[in-house]
Amino acid sequence: MTTAPPELELATREALAGLLLSVADDEFVIGFWDSEWTGIAPMLEEDVATSSIAQDEIGHAKALYELLADLTDDDPDRIAYGRDPSAFRHAALLNHARGDWAFSVARRYLYETADRARLAALARSSHEPLALVAGKMRREETYHLLHADAWRRRLAEASGEATTRFADSLRRLWPDAQEVFAPLVGEDTLVRDGILPEPMIALHRSWLADVRPILEPLTGPLPEKSPSADGRERRTDDFRWLHGEFTKVADSEAGALW
Amino acid sequence: MSIERGERVWEVFRQEDEGDPMVHAGNVNAADEELAMHYAREFYGRRGESHRLWIVARDAITELDDPDLLKPPFDRSHKKPGGYVIKHKLEAAKARAVAEAPE
Repeated sequence: MTTAPPELELATREALAGLLLSVADDEFVIGFWDSEWTGIAPMLEEDVATSSIAQDEIGHAKALYELLADLTDDDPDRIAYGRDPSAFRHAALLNHARGDWAFSVARRYLYETADRARLAALARSSHEPLALVAGKMRREETYHLLHADAWRRRLAEASGEATTRFADSLRRLWPDAQEVFAPLVGEDTLVRDGILPEPMIALHRSWLADVRPILEPLTGPLPEKSPSADGRERRTDDFRWLHGEFTKVADSEAGALW
Repeated sequence: MSIERGERVWEVFRQEDEGDPMVHAGNVNAADEELAMHYAREFYGRRGESHRLWIVARDAITELDDPDLLKPPFDRSHKKPGGYVIKHKLEAAKARAVAEAPE
């Protein structure tokens, strides 16, 4: 089934495919990292909540991989499970292993706030299928952000070891968090056609204005760092390990249907 | 899984559809109201099965379980409706209503 409007030029289609892949891979990879908490979260209720949120993220990735598959005449399962680690395009923020609870909360908070800025723009996309999915994602991400923010405040206000670990994690993740807004290949075309209503650099600025005043009282001044051209291309051993985990079942029986 | 100090139990009631009665669903442990809301949502609403949830701190509930008040020792059968047989009266009233109904 192909729903790609025939009027999209090849260059636009390729740029749109890159955009879809970047958002989908972000959601997919953070979903798998956070699912690593299943069974070992700080308490039973949080275990269920974290696992459910991780599942939601993978659900968002699925919706986006399906859009991408429609556009490129591909198979969503192949895109998700049939690529080498080097072909993934998630932001460097999602290259790190799960870490401790403070680290996971720090990453979720940085990611959810960045995702909010991005989804607000994508919900206004001129590419209707994307605007529709982004609109639905926003409804769930609002809740995800509330949950991450509830933990952000608790760890920030706990004092002692919890607060130290949380502030250290934020400082450690800060440079890679900028890469959620790494420039996309063909971004000019996407902005020109209203597919991406605001350039990444503008979204980056508005995200910084949101989070700096909230985080800096805890972390101290956070360095100025522009998103880099390879911010979605760098891969790590941590991610290669995770990739081995999430492709294990698909690899065990090539072509199996489930 | 350690139970943190200050953790409280919250009773959760759910409504399946607008207008349905609120029914006790179960409970969650949470340090405060905000997390209780998140956990109640995950436990009793994540599959879209609830229209509304009420989340109540267990210690805010007034409990009455005194048997002197709830299970008094004397015969209470006169307070139950079972003492009155109205079946025949009802049947007679229905028959009358049919007979008197205008054509």
